[in-house]
Amino acid sequence: MPNSIQMTDDLFDQLRLELRRGCLVMAVLGQLRAEHYGYTLRLALTDLGLAIDEGTLYPLLRRLESQGLLVSEWREEAKRDKRFYRISAEGKRMLGLLCVEWENINKSLNKILQKG
Amino acid sequence: MELINRYSQAVGFWLPKKQRDDIIAELSEEIRSQVEDKEAEFGRKLSEAEIAAVLRRLGSPLVVANRYLPQRYLIGPVLFPIYQRVLKFVVVCCLVLPILAWVGLMPYSAGRDAWHSAGSLLAALGSCWGSSWLSAFFSVGVVTVAFAIIERTKAMAKATDDWDPLKLPAVRDPHLIPLASSIFDLIFSAVFLIGWIGCLGLQVVLYVAGAKVTLASSWPYLVCGFVLVLLANIALSGANLFRPRWTRVRAAVRLAIDCAGSALFCWFLKAGILLDIAVANVPQAKESAIKDALNAGAARAFPLAVIVSAVIILLDVRRLYRVGSTGR
Repeated sequence: MPNSIQMTDDLFDQLRLELRRGCLVMAVLGQLRAEHYGYTLRLALTDLGLAIDEGTLYPLLRRLESQGLLVSEWREEAKRDKRFYRISAEGKRMLGLLCVEWENINKSLNKILQKG
Repeated sequence: MELINRYSQAVGFWLPKKQRDDIIAELSEEIRSQVEDKEAEFGRKLSEAEIAAVLRRLGSPLVVANRYLPQRYLIGPVLFPIYQRVLKFVVVCCLVLPILAWVGLMPYSAGRDAWHSAGSLLAALGSCWGSSWLSAFFSVGVVTVAFAIIERTKAMAKATDDWDPLKLPAVRDPHLIPLASSIFDLIFSAVFLIGWIGCLGLQVVLYVAGAKVTLASSWPYLVCGFVLVLLANIALSGANLFRPRWTRVRAAVRLAIDCAGSALFCWFLKAGILLDIAVANVPQAKESAIKDALNAGAARAFPLAVIVSAVIILLDVRRLYRVGSTGR
């Protein structure tokens, strides 16, 4: 029995991870409408209920920047160099499209789940 | 903070040179911010053990560095199933077939006389097995490199993009008996039966090209056995020709025929079927030597016949199981 509980937990973690993966991009783009550096962005997302670990956030930020959805600059703050990120014009356009898509998925899912 | 620098250096070791400094600077800043927050919370400097705990939570340097790198593989997910199949085939060809061939050809080997004990036989088998492994490793390496080149050159992308549903193979029916196989069985059995009865018959004394050949007394029994097997084979092939699907009964009959045929053939090889050969103007010692050589040659083929028979019977049993499990 404990084995089956463990398996269920592992499966849930795996599925939850898959579900969150796409949402994190939207959350990061949305949060970076205001400028943040990595650490404060992570804290802000955690405060809003979407905890994200460093190993996921920093590679994601680099990817989004290489895709032209974010811009960044190194700046000194509190006597230390920090890399500040904010959403680009292309990022804003993409966030808008993703929000529409998200709404559609959400509506469809609600209909499907209510039917059950 | 020395521990953080050591950690950053370890992460940087795995990163590409171009991005290394940038990633390390950002990662160090994240760690230092975490440490500062904890120090503010505790109202004191963190000990080395506490900093180590922060770093442990981040993950090993290799894992952390790997998250920044693009997904890389030698053989990608599209090619991998093909690679796996080719690898299985190569391993069977390099490891199983040489051993079977070695066992089959053992009686003809020049070194067979040296295998007078089980130990020396095992040593010879071990040597064959060892060289098989060597060739298997080499072949696996060659196959892997070939697939890696295909992956790098994206040669598969064209094949997967240009695929045509109309060119897909027909659905395979495992119960269908191919027409060609039934016709071949029928003709082979009929020709063999007619030739055997017409030319050899049950007599134990034959006159072949001026030679008088005397066969062992077991010969008529062997002939009767082979005739029965061939008749059964003709009946089964005829039935298969008109109703070309395996049924439990037919698969069982096939198994019985092959068991009987294999047993008879193995008996034939071991029976020392030639009793005497007499040829005009040939010394008796030479006649005897020819007879012994032919009998010994047949006896040496016995292990190979046993292996071939076992394979045929195993395939028959598998067919019977497959037909039985689908309830037909």
